[in-house]
Amino acid sequence: MLGKLIKYDLKYGAKLFIILHALLLLASILGRIFFLEKIDFNADSNTLLTSLGLFISIYLLLFTAVCFGVMLLLAIRFYKNLFTDEGYLTWTLPATPNQQLWAKIISGTIWYAIDIMLYSLCLVILVTGKNVTTAFAKIAPEVTESLGMPLSRYSLYMLIFLLISCIGSVIMIYSCVAIGQLFPGHRVLCSVIAYIIISTVIQIFTFIIMAVLGIFPNGHNYVVGTSGNVGHYLITVFKASGALFLITTAIEYAATHYIMNKKVNLI
Amino acid sequence: MKPILECQGLTKKYNNFYALSNLNLTLDRGQIIGLLGPNGSGKTTLIKLINGLLTPTDGRVMINSLAPGAETKKLVSYLPERSYLNDHMRVEEILSYFVDFYDNFDLERARKMLHDLEIDTNSRLRTLSKGTKEKVQLVLVMSRDAELYILDEPIGGVDPAARDYILRTILTNYNENATILLSTHLITDIENVLDRVLFIQNGQLSLNASVDEIRTKEGKSVDALFREVFRC
Repeated sequence: MLGKLIKYDLKYGAKLFIILHALLLLASILGRIFFLEKIDFNADSNTLLTSLGLFISIYLLLFTAVCFGVMLLLAIRFYKNLFTDEGYLTWTLPATPNQQLWAKIISGTIWYAIDIMLYSLCLVILVTGKNVTTAFAKIAPEVTESLGMPLSRYSLYMLIFLLISCIGSVIMIYSCVAIGQLFPGHRVLCSVIAYIIISTVIQIFTFIIMAVLGIFPNGHNYVVGTSGNVGHYLITVFKASGALFLITTAIEYAATHYIMNKKVNLI
Repeated sequence: MKPILECQGLTKKYNNFYALSNLNLTLDRGQIIGLLGPNGSGKTTLIKLINGLLTPTDGRVMINSLAPGAETKKLVSYLPERSYLNDHMRVEEILSYFVDFYDNFDLERARKMLHDLEIDTNSRLRTLSKGTKEKVQLVLVMSRDAELYILDEPIGGVDPAARDYILRTILTNYNENATILLSTHLITDIENVLDRVLFIQNGQLSLNASVDEIRTKEGKSVDALFREVFRC
């Protein structure tokens, strides 16, 4: 049953998911061909910074938009499939609420993981042109020293961390939608409010933990600019936020599980 | 044989409003039962509780002595009063969906009914009229070999000719041990097929009698009795 649910969940909204990422891939290929391969890294630093700044801003905006789109797709799929008219079919399938929830978590995590892999692919496309690699080769030793490891290894750690955090991101989205269902008159609004509150609470706890551990940039434990410190600092931050992520994900899962088992009220 | 449906002290409260209040009901197998009542009387609430779409405030509902869950959903074939299918899907895809999820779905029966109703299985649902969508849903629901069919307003949005076909479909497509619980306002259209009627009023059961009993004791049709009991 779980396998069948996952199969249909993965199909749901897949077209839009594919279109969004195809556009991102296309933009990355065009960015490499028409900008990064043509840019003169020996130019005056002001000119270089301006054009690179603009380019990075545009691509950051594009990546953020796609990321937001995927988040929205997951939220809409969860909401429509379980709590609108479609829920009349979903909830009358011979599946338990736990199977429904896990089908959504697994399919959502698969989507999110593919999303992150495609972001990585886009980044690889953007920065692996000869022009960029030649320019980077000149500063590579400096970057390696600062990170305390080669950039490639550091990027791999980042990727693994992001892939592990997929499941937490998905559960957070679902928990917000599920909490919104407790307020039948304003389901969507309450889901958004739940998201804002949960995000704020997580931010506050992250801030507290970082303060307690003294791991702010330039805090008493880390001084930016010292050899190898940037990488070590970031890895420590990953560990701390990973632990917090685990705890908040467990709480969000428990809340979603409870609502889906005890509080389903389709109107 | 266990009753197909039992409700004990079933209550559903929305804020301060009781949609169902302490409802007790037992339904045996092999009957076609009309669930009748004015708008807002609690018919759909009862149906949703049986299907596990609502959580009771108090009391319990049992299908074949089981609380609503994955096992009871195998036994119950439910037609809601709204369109519950994803509009982007083709009829053919929806058939595959039902084949995948319901072991008791009879694909051949569904195809025959769709053919009789001249519904193209390659059409996307969003291209079909409201009435045709309702027919598709009814075909899907009646193509399952279920033990309890729950049909919420199955003939409300279709033309009289299709209504006749649908009623014939209902009558010819359920096995004699199965039970059909049918909610509708169109009493005259269905009166002749009913074995029993339940009148529901203000969230409580006000009548549970066989159609023959009503005709013999009250000397009137179900429709006439309904109009008398629920006169505004």
